[in-house]
Amino acid sequence: MNGLWVHIDEILRCRQTAQSRPARAVLLSMIACIVTFGMVYGAVMGSFGGIGGQRLWQAIYSALKVPLLLVGTSLIAWPSFFVLNTLAGLRGDFVRATTALMAAQAGLAIVLASLAPLTIVWYASSSDYGDALRFNGVMFAIACLAGQWLLRDHYRVLIEGDPRHRRMFWIWLGLYVFVAIQMAWVLRPFVGDPNAPVEFLRREKWGNAYLVVVRLIYEALVH
Amino acid sequence: MKPWWRDLDRVLRGEATSLDANGEGRLGLPLDRLLLAILLMTMAYGVCMGFYAGFREGGPVVAQWLAVTAKVPCLFFLTLVVTFPSLYVFNALVGSRLTLAAVFELVVGSVAVNVAVLASLGPIVAFFSVSTTSYPFILLLNVLVFLLSGMLGFGFMLRTLGRMIAPRPECIAQQQCDSRHDSLAETECPPEGSEEPSTPVKARLVEEPGSIGGLRGCLLEWRVRTVFACWMMVSTLVCAQMAWVLRPFLGKPSEPFQWFCARESNFFAAVWEAFRTLLM
Repeated sequence: MNGLWVHIDEILRCRQTAQSRPARAVLLSMIACIVTFGMVYGAVMGSFGGIGGQRLWQAIYSALKVPLLLVGTSLIAWPSFFVLNTLAGLRGDFVRATTALMAAQAGLAIVLASLAPLTIVWYASSSDYGDALRFNGVMFAIACLAGQWLLRDHYRVLIEGDPRHRRMFWIWLGLYVFVAIQMAWVLRPFVGDPNAPVEFLRREKWGNAYLVVVRLIYEALVH
Repeated sequence: MKPWWRDLDRVLRGEATSLDANGEGRLGLPLDRLLLAILLMTMAYGVCMGFYAGFREGGPVVAQWLAVTAKVPCLFFLTLVVTFPSLYVFNALVGSRLTLAAVFELVVGSVAVNVAVLASLGPIVAFFSVSTTSYPFILLLNVLVFLLSGMLGFGFMLRTLGRMIAPRPECIAQQQCDSRHDSLAETECPPEGSEEPSTPVKARLVEEPGSIGGLRGCLLEWRVRTVFACWMMVSTLVCAQMAWVLRPFLGKPSEPFQWFCARESNFFAAVWEAFRTLLM
């Protein structure tokens, strides 16, 4: 248990890149962190309508979906990031860059889990589904900002060694956000409307997050 | 590691096209293995692109999936066949010292970079293809991905071209000496026949690692560069039109499967129509 806290502390204080453990072990421990803490927040997130009867399934589904969102997005964006790093001549630093990315993801999951008690209090105070969605949106926004902060800190060492890492940092953010928005859209519902049946994924068409946003903007401008 | 993968990796890292590797005016790339790599990478992207047909509402259209897997390699190889002869001819016309083999190596190397980036973006395209039903969105996403990978391929080509047509170190050193002979101390110039360039020349040849960075201080032959720049524009247009000729790649959900469509309209009109439909 003590080792776990030390590990969490190392991630939050950006000490991962400096330690001497093998890269594979560091990466595996970070993925374990993402899964564990992502599941904690996901379970809390999905407990909006309570955990009795069928609603327990919503908590379980959400507990599975939050780590899936974080790990799946990284996996999808990772191959292009690898090729672009290689093309830019930064292949030698790629293991460190990947470690930095995963540390930021792990940090994001830890921050999310730390915000879980606030979510519980909010659920205990309000029964409005729309408010619950917005509150969780704010929690995710805070965690994402913290994750980006961590990523910037981890990347600072790399950028000091080679300024071209700065460009790769922004490219990763672009790729990650582009995929993550659609991934979150596909994996919804995370909170789960208490008046709707519990389901892992929406049965209706998956659709496209960007199209919805473009149409909303278009309608707001035209009408 | 497979030999074709290792060679592609060396091209991506910039090792296969470094100054050391191309001292003879040739890159010395293993063309057979790179062509195999291009074939496999384009097929991989074709499979990713085919996810749109494979995960369509109402069941997968396997024939469309197979068709797109075959058509993406055809798109690249046919564009290469159509545009390469004119590139070599104009390159020779302006007096470039690049031989036919050198130009072919350069083109194959840049296509290899292009398709490697394309294939690396494949998982993103596959993910959106599975999760999106909008045909215009997927069409525009694929156009964007092709455009981005093409730009990186051209960036690689321009940089490698700069290395290939840059004056050799001993020529620069001799030129410097010739121009400074009357005004500067002769002792600063390397002795005749020496292969070691002077210190300023060395400084000008310092390059950044990788294959799309900048090569500082290289003197590019303006005419050759212009020919290649024009060729890049022409090959982009040819590639776009070739894609139009070979369509359908994605296959409209409202239409039954067909290997090729009738001749009508053009690529750019179709992209504009997709963009317009997306907003409507």
